[in-house]
Amino acid sequence: MKQETGESLSRVAWKRLRKNRGAVIGMVVLSVMVLMAITAPWITPFDPTTQILEYSVKPAGFRGSVIYKRNLADESVPSIIAVSSIEERGDTVFYKDPSGEPYRIARSSLLGRAPMEYYSEPLFILGTDRFGRDLFTRLVYGMRVSLSVGLISESIALAIGIFLGALAGYFRGSVDDSIMWLVNVVWSFPTILLVVAFSVILGKGYWQTFVAIGISSWVDIARIVRGQFFSIREQEYVEATRALGYGTMRTIFRHMLPNAAGPIIVLSTAGFATAIIAEASLSFIGLGVQPPTPSWGQMIKDGYGYIALGTNWGMTLFPSMAMAIGVLVLNLFGDGLRDALDPKTSQR
Amino acid sequence: MITYLLRKILYTLLVLVGVVVVTFFIRPPGDPARVLLGQRADSASVAVMREQLGLDKPLHIQVAKYMINLTKGDLGRSIATNRSVSETIIERLPATALLACTSIVIATILGILLGVIAAWRPNSWIDSVTMSTSLLGISLPAFVVGLLFVLLFGVVLEWFPNSGYVDRGIEYLILPMVTLAIRPMAIIARVTRSSMLDVLGQDYIRTARAKGLSSRTVFIKHALRNALNPVVTTVSAWFAGLLAGTYFIEFIFNWPGIGLAAFNAIEKLDYPMIQGTVLFTAIVFVIVNTAADLVYGFIDPKVRLS
Repeated sequence: MKQETGESLSRVAWKRLRKNRGAVIGMVVLSVMVLMAITAPWITPFDPTTQILEYSVKPAGFRGSVIYKRNLADESVPSIIAVSSIEERGDTVFYKDPSGEPYRIARSSLLGRAPMEYYSEPLFILGTDRFGRDLFTRLVYGMRVSLSVGLISESIALAIGIFLGALAGYFRGSVDDSIMWLVNVVWSFPTILLVVAFSVILGKGYWQTFVAIGISSWVDIARIVRGQFFSIREQEYVEATRALGYGTMRTIFRHMLPNAAGPIIVLSTAGFATAIIAEASLSFIGLGVQPPTPSWGQMIKDGYGYIALGTNWGMTLFPSMAMAIGVLVLNLFGDGLRDALDPKTSQR
Repeated sequence: MITYLLRKILYTLLVLVGVVVVTFFIRPPGDPARVLLGQRADSASVAVMREQLGLDKPLHIQVAKYMINLTKGDLGRSIATNRSVSETIIERLPATALLACTSIVIATILGILLGVIAAWRPNSWIDSVTMSTSLLGISLPAFVVGLLFVLLFGVVLEWFPNSGYVDRGIEYLILPMVTLAIRPMAIIARVTRSSMLDVLGQDYIRTARAKGLSSRTVFIKHALRNALNPVVTTVSAWFAGLLAGTYFIEFIFNWPGIGLAAFNAIEKLDYPMIQGTVLFTAIVFVIVNTAADLVYGFIDPKVRLS
């Protein structure tokens, strides 16, 4: 006799998710982005803050010719000198800079031992920015900032939102009233303005940005959790936990919360995307992650000055596209997730 | 109805008190007087400045004073220009209002239209084109859309001017307006579509069809009317996002509205100006949403009871 086996909810959801083309594309692109962000130092040709002023605002596909000089302050990041021609005579290297001015340098202060190991003709795939920094390198490092902002800010938002939403939905009454008052106050500010406001209060910087975005975007989560808890607390198993004498916190977080997980997961992918946009907007204003740490918003702002001139539009276009792709795949994934977790919508 | 009205308005006032308190704390870290005068200022002039700004008083007195001044319409003076913040806001209101209102109107009309078209034949190519376009619209923040529009229509195609105010001609309005409308339009289209599909599955639609009404009559008269409720909520809720969007759009298009003033204030950490503009935006948002709620209560008796 064949044994009947049930399928767990998450398995069913996973099956549905795999059938959704948009969601699969989203997952694949997202994984690639995460991988690129993690392996940034190995897949990028330069250091994101290394400036080659002679090569400022070069177009995409520009090929330079440079020599690497040993950096006494930091051995791992060599200094880069742009050259137009070089000649090695004994222990000295004679070179001309791009404007044709002749210079000389001791062979020993350059990188590498074998002849010409210090010389290279690097390709700037996407061109360079105002300070002659490689755009591709900065784009990949900017992805690190964007993804970590999404991750950390969304975790902060989830922690606050779940906690307050659960309390409001479980206890109702005056607890609910006061939490909902707070929710309504915070909700009265457009999210991005609240992020700006908290950034002004906390000051500029890496961690301040994460916190500012996190404490601005918990409201939707709190509302959803509260709504879910309103119906969940009427279920028999919640009554059972009370009969068994479980503590309130145990009931809330061990037994009720997992049953509200679906909408929370869907909402947090959307929140992840919003956090990326918020960080870019902050950097665009000049708050947020500060230079020289590369961030997409800053790069877009840098490029903005060149748009009106009609030149070097790549400086704006490439980071904009990177952000659009990132947010788009997150939304695709989120949509797929919603359909997979909620059978009602997927039947349409 | 009267009790519902009063309860609603009282609660709104309570929320506004919270909004004002939050706004009061929008100021840079550290002593604002020191920030203003610079690190090298002597302690005597810092003390004078503190007194001028009312910073020498305890915090709750400061908050109370801020609220009392607010009821008189006094939002303090800009640090950068020494002008009255409320005067600046009133002076710049028409520019922002023009931009925001035309955008939300365009977004609503086009959004509903796209949503209805998509719902007309769900899962057809029209539906997928409309929905993927709207997904793209949601994925792009307003300032990026703005820059890309400037690049495409302003610089490459030279159809519209790059930046400037509408007093130089109507063509100056087009790009900022469309830029601002895209995101809300995309969201309204999606909400309309899903709400339409919801309604089309209801029994009374089947009844209407069974009566032999033409499918167009059923679609427009019976379905669309009932599907618009969540759409109205979306429109009023998105008005806030749109107002916030003006901060960036006005900067990009050099549009002399409240957003541009706020943007400049943020760069200079001119906190009274930041407070004023943020507070103004929040108040407008609260009023719009309360008004929308009241309209609901008026139309739909069920809402009044909850």
